[in-house]
Amino acid sequence: MSEPTLPAAKNSSQLNDEMLSSLRTPTWSWYALALFLGAVVAWGLYAFGYMLTTDMSCTGLNRPVMWGVYIVNFVFWIGLSHSGTMVSAILRLSRANWRRPILRAAEAMTVFTVAVGGLFPLIHLGRNWVFFYLIPYPNQRGLWPNFRSALLWDATAIFTYIIGSSLFLYLGMLPDLAVARDRSSGWRFKLYSVLAMGWRGTAREWAIFHQASTLMAALIIPVAVSVHSIVAWDFAVTVIPGWHSTIFPPYFVIGAIHSGIAAVITLMIIIRRVFHLEDYLTPLHFDNMGKLLLVIALLWSYAYFVEVQTTWYAHEPIEWEVFSFMADKYAFLLLLMIFANSVLPIVALCFKRLRRSIGVMLVVSVLINVGMFIERFLIIVPSLSHKNMPFVWGTYRPTWVELSVTAGAFAGFALMYTLFAKCFPMVSVTDVRELEAQKSVVTLGRTRLQSIAEKE
Amino acid sequence: MEVLGIFSDKESAGVAVEHLIKEGFVERQITSLTSVAYPDGVLVRTEQRTWFRWFTLACGIAGAGAGFLLAAGTAWLYPVKTGDKPIIAFYPTGIVTYELTMLFALAGTIIGMFLEMGLPSLRKRVYDPLIAEGYIGISVSIHSGGVAVACEADVSPRECIGTVAALPSDEQVSRAEELMKAAGAVRIIAEDRI
Repeated sequence: MSEPTLPAAKNSSQLNDEMLSSLRTPTWSWYALALFLGAVVAWGLYAFGYMLTTDMSCTGLNRPVMWGVYIVNFVFWIGLSHSGTMVSAILRLSRANWRRPILRAAEAMTVFTVAVGGLFPLIHLGRNWVFFYLIPYPNQRGLWPNFRSALLWDATAIFTYIIGSSLFLYLGMLPDLAVARDRSSGWRFKLYSVLAMGWRGTAREWAIFHQASTLMAALIIPVAVSVHSIVAWDFAVTVIPGWHSTIFPPYFVIGAIHSGIAAVITLMIIIRRVFHLEDYLTPLHFDNMGKLLLVIALLWSYAYFVEVQTTWYAHEPIEWEVFSFMADKYAFLLLLMIFANSVLPIVALCFKRLRRSIGVMLVVSVLINVGMFIERFLIIVPSLSHKNMPFVWGTYRPTWVELSVTAGAFAGFALMYTLFAKCFPMVSVTDVRELEAQKSVVTLGRTRLQSIAEKE
Repeated sequence: MEVLGIFSDKESAGVAVEHLIKEGFVERQITSLTSVAYPDGVLVRTEQRTWFRWFTLACGIAGAGAGFLLAAGTAWLYPVKTGDKPIIAFYPTGIVTYELTMLFALAGTIIGMFLEMGLPSLRKRVYDPLIAEGYIGISVSIHSGGVAVACEADVSPRECIGTVAALPSDEQVSRAEELMKAAGAVRIIAEDRI
């Protein structure tokens, strides 16, 4: 690496001070933000309560469109969860040194997005109070949940993913919790002491820790892929026109990585600004993440092209009807999606100067997720609107209840992230300091370069 | 018993380790306490082999069994006859088995890691919060004079306890403290004084 990622002059205490700055006493603006987000969550809960006490008729769901914004949210949030852990795991395995300040933001994002996403199948159930039918236990009629239902595959996969991602997040935080413990007092000291489990940082503990990190990274990647493949199978194993496609699992996985990486970039920009971490989240990090995003944008565009091109060339009547309906009724959304997910990132991210511009990266990353939300909507609604029987064709428009629950979900994610940032280090302190400890300046020919010591 | 010396930089910590080894302590008695990882050998050399990955594998196999029993076993116990479809469906059984295999393996990795680290520790061990600020701790395990108490099953006493082991433990502590002070330790903490 020819470019320094950290200012060289800072000592360990200064690095700790700056990277643990998020743990300082909350300011009034933090309380105001938490209060605002809490209010939106409360409104979402009210809307959900209203739906519980009336019935599903207060939503826009009706024949033939029985999956609406709730399932759009489900797919979107599970997709978002993808990249956090996956990017972190891939960068850990590839030992990319620029990964270090990014890991925590990405891993935390996964845990909270999958928590939000996992609620939507339950919200969507209709009779939400019988959600425990999903849990395998022998009931009084001697029946057992039928694992042939894709809903149970989702439940199993999401449960595995949320536990795995939480463990992965915790594992990465372990040495940082010890640092936070040694610099805190009162309830924080007690909390970090319990979570740090008596970590002292012995040579043996570090050796085991690194092996465990690598193993966890290797194990979590196939889980992440399986989760979104299973979400794709919710659609692909049906015979609904527009869904019954072999490309769906890889296409969903690519889409999930696309939206996930964009979300990590958005969060990096917010964290950088709010906690004054400009020295740690540098333009180099955005440049590298931008390159990653460019590759994924190209892959997503290719997958979308293959999906549409196959439909167009085969011209199978009902498949083509669904596509024509989408292109007609949702033309604006379709064009916005293609622009946000494909045209904009491919054009903008080709240029180093734009990849290193924080403003440009914010616009690109936010628009990608707007595009990905639309993409989920366009997968679900047009296909259900125009199924095989023309006499039940219909359309769908979400009501205030569904939109309020959606707003509550976004606020809930932001609130969880805000609370997490106040309680736990948002930058991987020991990872960043490890790089600093291994750096030295060497003379090579006529110039002096920064090198990183590494022993195999 | 453990003696911990706190050093402000890795160079003086490295010197302390070399002096301790020259005095007759062995590598297995000495470890470093740091808030960042250093490559093996920079401060001390430690055993790199671990067994917890076998524990992960065992948990993964147990997870596969649990997943198979949950999906296929329960389908067999509570059969749902649907047309000419098999009672034990291949596809769902595969998915549930796979997910539980991974879940158990992930949980097993964390549990195995903590078991191998010996964490959480039930007794209070020597430590200094200065380590979080970038200081380096060099810890020496002192054994009762002449007794190979720290040896593992496959390690000979000569490998795990050096020539100083013949001395009484108080004498060993004094020697370790003197060597670490001479190397530039800013603070010495002995286990019996905490």
